[in-house]
Amino acid sequence: MSNTLSTTSRSTKHEVTLLSRTQTSSHTYTGKFLLTLPLGKRPPLRIIVDKRNLLANLLMVGLLMLLTGISLATGSAATLSGPATLGALLGHGSALDIFVVRDLRLPRVVAGLVTGGAFALAGCLMQTVARNRLATPGIVGLDNGATAFAVASVVGTGISLAPPAMALTGAAVAAALTFGLTGSIGVRGYRFLVAGIGVGAVFGAITQLMLTRVSIDAANAAYPWTVGSLNARPAHAVSILSLALLPAVLAAIRLTRSLTVMRLSDAVAIGLGVSASRCRLMALNVAVILTGLAVAVAGPVGMVALIGPEFARQISTRNTVPVVGATLAGAIVMLAADLLGRVIFAPIEVPVGIVTALIGSPLLLWILLNPNARTTP
Amino acid sequence: MTQEAFVYAPADDDSAPDIATQGLSLAYGNVPVIEGLELRLPAGQVTAIVGPNGCGKSTLLSGMSRLLKPRAGAVLLDGADIQRVPSRELAKRLALLPQQPHAPEALTVAELVRFGRHPHQSWLRQWSADDKACVDEALELTGLTTLAERPVDALSGGQRQRAWIAMAIAQQTATLLLDEPTSALDLGHQVEVYELIRSLTAAGKTIVMVIHDLVGACRYADHLIAMHQGQILAEGPPGETVTADLVRRLYGVDCTLITDPATGAPLLTNVRRTRDVLDGSAT
Amino acid sequence: MASFMNRHADSSVMVRLRACLWSGKSPSPVATWGLLMILLAVIALLSLLFGAGAVGPDRAWLALSDFDAAAMHDSEAHFVIGELRLPRLGIGLVVGIALGIAGALLQAVTRNPLAEPGLLGVSAGSAFAVTLAILWGADAATLRISVAQLGALGGCLCVLAAARLQGIGNDPVRLILAGAILSGLLHSLSSLILLFDQYTADEIRFWVVGSLAGRDATDLMPLAPSLALAALLTVILARPLAALALGEHVAIGLGHHPRIVRFLVIVVVALLVGGATAIAGPVAFVGLVVPFAARALAGPDIRRTLWFCLPLGPIVVVSADIVSRLVVQPSELPLGVITALIGAPVLIAVVRRRRLPML
Repeated sequence: MSNTLSTTSRSTKHEVTLLSRTQTSSHTYTGKFLLTLPLGKRPPLRIIVDKRNLLANLLMVGLLMLLTGISLATGSAATLSGPATLGALLGHGSALDIFVVRDLRLPRVVAGLVTGGAFALAGCLMQTVARNRLATPGIVGLDNGATAFAVASVVGTGISLAPPAMALTGAAVAAALTFGLTGSIGVRGYRFLVAGIGVGAVFGAITQLMLTRVSIDAANAAYPWTVGSLNARPAHAVSILSLALLPAVLAAIRLTRSLTVMRLSDAVAIGLGVSASRCRLMALNVAVILTGLAVAVAGPVGMVALIGPEFARQISTRNTVPVVGATLAGAIVMLAADLLGRVIFAPIEVPVGIVTALIGSPLLLWILLNPNARTTP
Repeated sequence: MTQEAFVYAPADDDSAPDIATQGLSLAYGNVPVIEGLELRLPAGQVTAIVGPNGCGKSTLLSGMSRLLKPRAGAVLLDGADIQRVPSRELAKRLALLPQQPHAPEALTVAELVRFGRHPHQSWLRQWSADDKACVDEALELTGLTTLAERPVDALSGGQRQRAWIAMAIAQQTATLLLDEPTSALDLGHQVEVYELIRSLTAAGKTIVMVIHDLVGACRYADHLIAMHQGQILAEGPPGETVTADLVRRLYGVDCTLITDPATGAPLLTNVRRTRDVLDGSAT
Repeated sequence: MASFMNRHADSSVMVRLRACLWSGKSPSPVATWGLLMILLAVIALLSLLFGAGAVGPDRAWLALSDFDAAAMHDSEAHFVIGELRLPRLGIGLVVGIALGIAGALLQAVTRNPLAEPGLLGVSAGSAFAVTLAILWGADAATLRISVAQLGALGGCLCVLAAARLQGIGNDPVRLILAGAILSGLLHSLSSLILLFDQYTADEIRFWVVGSLAGRDATDLMPLAPSLALAALLTVILARPLAALALGEHVAIGLGHHPRIVRFLVIVVVALLVGGATAIAGPVAFVGLVVPFAARALAGPDIRRTLWFCLPLGPIVVVSADIVSRLVVQPSELPLGVITALIGAPVLIAVVRRRRLPML
């Protein structure tokens, strides 16, 4: 090979392009197509679209619509037929049906959609920058931190910020503690996870402390935040989360290319011109914001942050970071778990936090204990 | 295989790179490793940085590739401090291959090499004919075209290292920094990688590699930098630089130096531990 | 080689002891142990003096100094101390010893400085078993203790199985993660059961956070046989366990049977943790903090660590109990909250170390 090369000479880029057209190459982008948008004089936009990911996302959107329909139609008050539900949603039908669908079930479904998406996107981002499938915000103590702060505002410890702001602060404090105490994320293996368990335990204890100190009424008001439920979602918290989710998804999509490179290693990413620390900081910030705001709505339903991305990775192309897929999958998991919790032991309602924990914990254990399972996302 | 097929696409800037350090001080945490280092690397040649474990050679490479921020001084690329060059701009001029990088499971060679095009792409312009040409060439140059669709972790050690080098080649930089590209490889695979490195220099690249294997460095490098405790003990062409005295000061071993009759490179024979070192009085 | 090391360690202890006796410098292990015992006595006294109720330290002191007379002139103080604080102190002592020793044993047998019954899901297993038992109508204290111990044994076997898995056993941190997840799973299952059964929920809600309050001295009685068995087994197992610390092959070479030793240690841990959980609820982190401090004071030998756990365990639990009474007067904090607040920083400190020592 080397004697062939010794005679090579430098050429211009133009020649290279020409050459490559005549050259037949054995490798092609299988399963992807190039979306080309001509822009007049400027070079055209070219975006690689992965067919399988596109298909998976479309599938999940369909599934999500189906689940939304079922969630709107079923419940303890009345089970409606498909057309009746749609009619009630659009304002036709009996006043009771309209009330049940629009005022009772729709807010709950919306809350489930946005919290599920937020938790799962946060999980996907954190797993990717930590290079560890187990590194979800819940394990690292963010959920407990957000819960402790939200409970503090509800039980009236003299702090008068709204629960979303408090939960956000709590998540940020927990993240700062965990990552500050272990130096850096993703570098020291599982240690920061255990440090996160410690941080989470402290915040859990603080939550308990506050709940035992206050009257029963205040404790009951704060209770949904401790188990994770879609039953008592505060309306303003839902709207704040919805407002935050869209820019967060866009930011995540923007980060996808860097995150894909970050999966290799920090050194490789830096060598390829990615500012690893900046990318990590941005991803973590988005994850903290989403987790904090989602906890303010539904309490610590942290397992969605594990199940959602896991599900998305299963149906997406390997070696991609499915941020959109994870968001959709999280919403699916949340809606399905909530539906299951409402239906399976009706009239008793199982909080969505318990349902997801019962599904997610065995999955976590399997990832952790199966010697053949990958631990990197 | 026609010769045209091997035409090497040049880096974005055609001028030969000029890499130098100016009063460079590097530290890990609070432990200073390198203090006030002045260095200039020859363009278009293979430079090997050798030295005993912990002498700071990998640290130096980390500093040159911006993995490590200098405590004082600067690494200059064509006169500009690399800390001030935008990271993507730098990645178009300087490629880095870290020590024993690990590829995610089931990542194929072609996918890995495509990562090399990352600094040349943006979110809205993800793939162009240039990218394809560069990836094809990098695969061709490293002889991996037929293995393009194989997963990286299914390759042999030498092939895997070649795949990573192919990624760095696809980056189309004038300079390649390689951190111990041949460690953990057996002799055959080592030679495979060394010959690839030589062929890249023949095609006009500047290569800087940190290396443990002094014999390999003498055989394949144009320029040798011998480091000890963060200081440069000697630098220059291997044939002129490597002396029995240098080897003793670097590694604490005595040896007899002969010239390889086939290549003209210095060859270490009869290597044994130095008496003074055994007595503990060596510096 | 092992015997050589042991002899070496023993001789160095002798040298140090002798040096201490003559020079009176840094305290010998024996002296440290004595100091800890005195500290424990002081804390025990404090726990009798201070409480959440109306009986302040002055009245309690008067009542204590002449206990029989107090029955006449300050019957309230007599009652509070005799019927409330004294049993509570006794339970605190037993729980502290049980959890401290169990932690030290579990850490030795998994060779993992982070192995803690609460973190590894042993307490959760026992709590889950109790929840099930109450759900199915079990009520007698004896039945609850044996159920808790069976649950703890189940949890222990899970831990041991996980630790034997490839890749987990030599990574202390992953084992803890698995335990935390197992705890979470069992906790959710318990929560699910509680949702359905209001009676069980009321019965268990207070118990499940871990507390020494509202327990009776008679609760301790059914525990006595299993604790005695655990103590006996611990004494027998200490030597082989110390050999096991040098590695399985060395232990076999020294004529021990690692499998049997390991199983018996697990049984002891289950007896201790199950018993402690049955009377005080799941109290986490004690089994981490106590052996951690004991090793810092006594060095790595498991036999001496166990000796130091004896005073240290009750010191931690009883003082945490005092704090839990005083912080939020007139109500009380669950004990588990205090131990978590003390223990979690210790956990983080251990994890932060550059190298986790293999035990």
